[in-house]
Amino acid sequence: MIGIKSYGAYLPKYLLPRELIGKAWEFPIVPGTKAVAMADEDSLTMAVEAGLDCLAGNDPKSVDGLFFASTTQVYTEKDSASLIATVLDMREDIITSDFTDSLKAGTTAVTRAVDTIKANKDIKSILVIAADTRTPEPSTMWEYGFADGAAALLIADEDNIPLSIEDYYSVSANVTGPWKRTDKDKFIRTFEPKMDAKFYIENITKVMAEVLKRNNLKPEDIGAAAYYYSNPRLHGRIAKMMKYPGGVAQNSLFFQIGDVGTPMPFMLLIGALRRPKEDSKIIMAGFGDGADAILMHVRDRNALRDLGKNRMGFLGHQKSMIILKNYNKFLDFKEIIEKDRYTRKSSAVTIWRDTASVYKWYGLKCKECGAIQYPDMLRSCYICRADDQFERVKLDLKGTIFTFTLDHLVGGTYLDTPVPRCVIDLDGGGRVLLNMTEIEKPEENVKIGMRVELTFRKEHESADFKNYYWKCRPERGKP
Amino acid sequence: MVRKGIKDKVAIIGCDMTKYGELWDKNQYDLLFEAFQSTLKDTGIEKDEIDASWIGIFYYFTGLSGAMVEDILRMDGKPSTRVENYCASGMDAFRNASFAIASGAYDVALACGVEKLMDEGGSGLPGFKIFGHPLYPTPSAPAMFSMAATRSFHEYGWTKEDLARVAVKNHDNGADHPKAHFRSRITIDQVMRAPMIADPLGRFDCCAMSDGAAALILTRPELAESYAHADDYILVKANAISCQTNFPWYVPPGGPGAEFTHFPATEKAGEYAYKEAGITNPRKEIDCAEVHDCFTITELLNCQDLQFCERGQSAEELKNGTFNYDGEIAINPSGGLKSFGHPIGSTGCRMLTEITKQLQGRAEGRQVPDAKIGLCHNLGGAFTVCSVTILGQRD
Repeated sequence: MIGIKSYGAYLPKYLLPRELIGKAWEFPIVPGTKAVAMADEDSLTMAVEAGLDCLAGNDPKSVDGLFFASTTQVYTEKDSASLIATVLDMREDIITSDFTDSLKAGTTAVTRAVDTIKANKDIKSILVIAADTRTPEPSTMWEYGFADGAAALLIADEDNIPLSIEDYYSVSANVTGPWKRTDKDKFIRTFEPKMDAKFYIENITKVMAEVLKRNNLKPEDIGAAAYYYSNPRLHGRIAKMMKYPGGVAQNSLFFQIGDVGTPMPFMLLIGALRRPKEDSKIIMAGFGDGADAILMHVRDRNALRDLGKNRMGFLGHQKSMIILKNYNKFLDFKEIIEKDRYTRKSSAVTIWRDTASVYKWYGLKCKECGAIQYPDMLRSCYICRADDQFERVKLDLKGTIFTFTLDHLVGGTYLDTPVPRCVIDLDGGGRVLLNMTEIEKPEENVKIGMRVELTFRKEHESADFKNYYWKCRPERGKP
Repeated sequence: MVRKGIKDKVAIIGCDMTKYGELWDKNQYDLLFEAFQSTLKDTGIEKDEIDASWIGIFYYFTGLSGAMVEDILRMDGKPSTRVENYCASGMDAFRNASFAIASGAYDVALACGVEKLMDEGGSGLPGFKIFGHPLYPTPSAPAMFSMAATRSFHEYGWTKEDLARVAVKNHDNGADHPKAHFRSRITIDQVMRAPMIADPLGRFDCCAMSDGAAALILTRPELAESYAHADDYILVKANAISCQTNFPWYVPPGGPGAEFTHFPATEKAGEYAYKEAGITNPRKEIDCAEVHDCFTITELLNCQDLQFCERGQSAEELKNGTFNYDGEIAINPSGGLKSFGHPIGSTGCRMLTEITKQLQGRAEGRQVPDAKIGLCHNLGGAFTVCSVTILGQRD
């Protein structure tokens, strides 16, 4: 039976109060907050986070494919899925593909995953990750809505699938609604928001109604409806038009998190899975140049609830977010403020050769003395000096600070300093040096003995490509 | 590693250095030329008497290859080699020249060093955007040593004030030296209030960016009798180098230096040098030492690693005056890197010049009373390369 085996999510650390946007531009104040990624995050790094969260307790080598969905993919030539799959330490004999350019790319990727698994006996599971970093044009109303986040669903064909996928229905529809030209636009444009809204309402209700009709279901048969929306008023209208009973239409996202784009239906679904009704039906729907509605069936309520226990999911991240106190910081995170950025020498060759070390996070274990060490560029053991006695071992993503400094002199440029440089003893062995991110008041809060976890981030853009590496951060949820 | 060694096989027969500082109107050629000319004068020889040269230069932008000597000094095509070994570049140039003399291959050799840093701007050492791996973090030089400070605070209970005393002592010594970059005395309070460079190291915990050059001329002791310093030439008692990893932050617990509270390179180079020189009680036998104080924490840890005091006792000994110029063992009587800055390739040769003159009783700044045995020490990279040279008076 094909369905959802696992889920994961990622929300960045910071929430920007909408009040700060209103004050910055003397706009009417809108309540709530929205999730804001830092400058060292993008759709790819957030996808890695959501993927790691989703794969908790699953062997990444057992998954047969990865689909990445985003409207803010970091490259237009060169895909993201292959890099994400590498960082997640998946096999090489898998299928990877990017689904881009439409806000429904997430739900579309799920439907394609279902079809692929059905059609191909060698493909039993596909990890679908949706992520967006939606950068709004400053001093427009988009600023109130657009937010950043990622979510992942592991689609698999297994006997004991806790949430089965029963059916889906899609429409394709073209209108020049919100768009971004590849060659010219940094920000989203629109011609007539009222027509965009009408188009959205028509399409999203059409696919949900059709999938109900095809399966002889009435609105009251639906336990939860997780459909994309770009503003709360429209969400209410859809719920009414669909005649969903109260509490069915999931609307937990916009007020606090905002419009995260492609991962939004996934996140709404994950939110709904906290308290699933046994044997109930769930609808997930995405919109963008058409719409998809996916019908699901809760097969094992307890298994779904247990999933929530050993991963951050949507709620775990939501709980550990903190308020950004300054609108300028937001502009800086989004790299809207023009300033020099840290760069250094880079080499695509070096990074490719060191993939196991820099992306997959492998170290070396000495077969003579057992010492685990990093990185894997050296051939002789630090401890017993044995030559060429190393075997590769996967390193932990958590550890404890042994020593550190706060470096104010980064490349002589004083950009975004101080950078905490942390010598970390990883749980399970290996000592590494990592920069720290997501740290408030480092002078007070970075300490010897501090627990940290690893997070995959953008380091710099030298040699004109994205240079990603691991950083550490204080454990999320423990500020 | 010590086999036969070169103890008493090499004599310093002349040395000098330029003024150190932000020498905007001079290039590296001027600096080396001036250091060389005054060294020739001190030695009392013509340049044609020099058989071969070794020059310490760290940065490619200061100059490439041994041809730097030829271009500046026009040695008529004689052998010359550039030596790069981090902050020990200058002292390693001296080491190579010493070996050439001790072997008998040459009669007279030049060891010199120069670095022109200020042309690259003064915001910390340049090159950190070019060196190394594209992704692995490249902490700045102060950040590297700060990680040892953080851990030493934790293990030894030292404080920022303990570090500050190093800066205060060295600037106090340097204030008397006519060639020092900085000649002002400072207070503990000033050090404590200075802006952070890499926590816990503030501005006064770090040596400055400076320009400078120094040079020494070497020969065999039996030949030294015929030069100007026949009566007070200085003998090389030992010259040792130890290399450890470039990446101390990857050394797993249990490996060399993994504690971040001592420098294995200094410990080893010290052991090698003491063995070669026949020194068994460094604290008693050594009268003065130029010890690498690129950062205040570096001096404190080095003093322990060179066996001038027990581990963990450096801060207390400093406080008690042990390391003052008139204390039990004078550490950085010249004012050290704190007062001179650190034009990398030159620093080793500057220290050797300082100690030579101390032992000759003609120190330019503070003269250590009755100094007979002196030590020079560099520690470069990420505590990676250490060079220790021990000098002594002739019999």
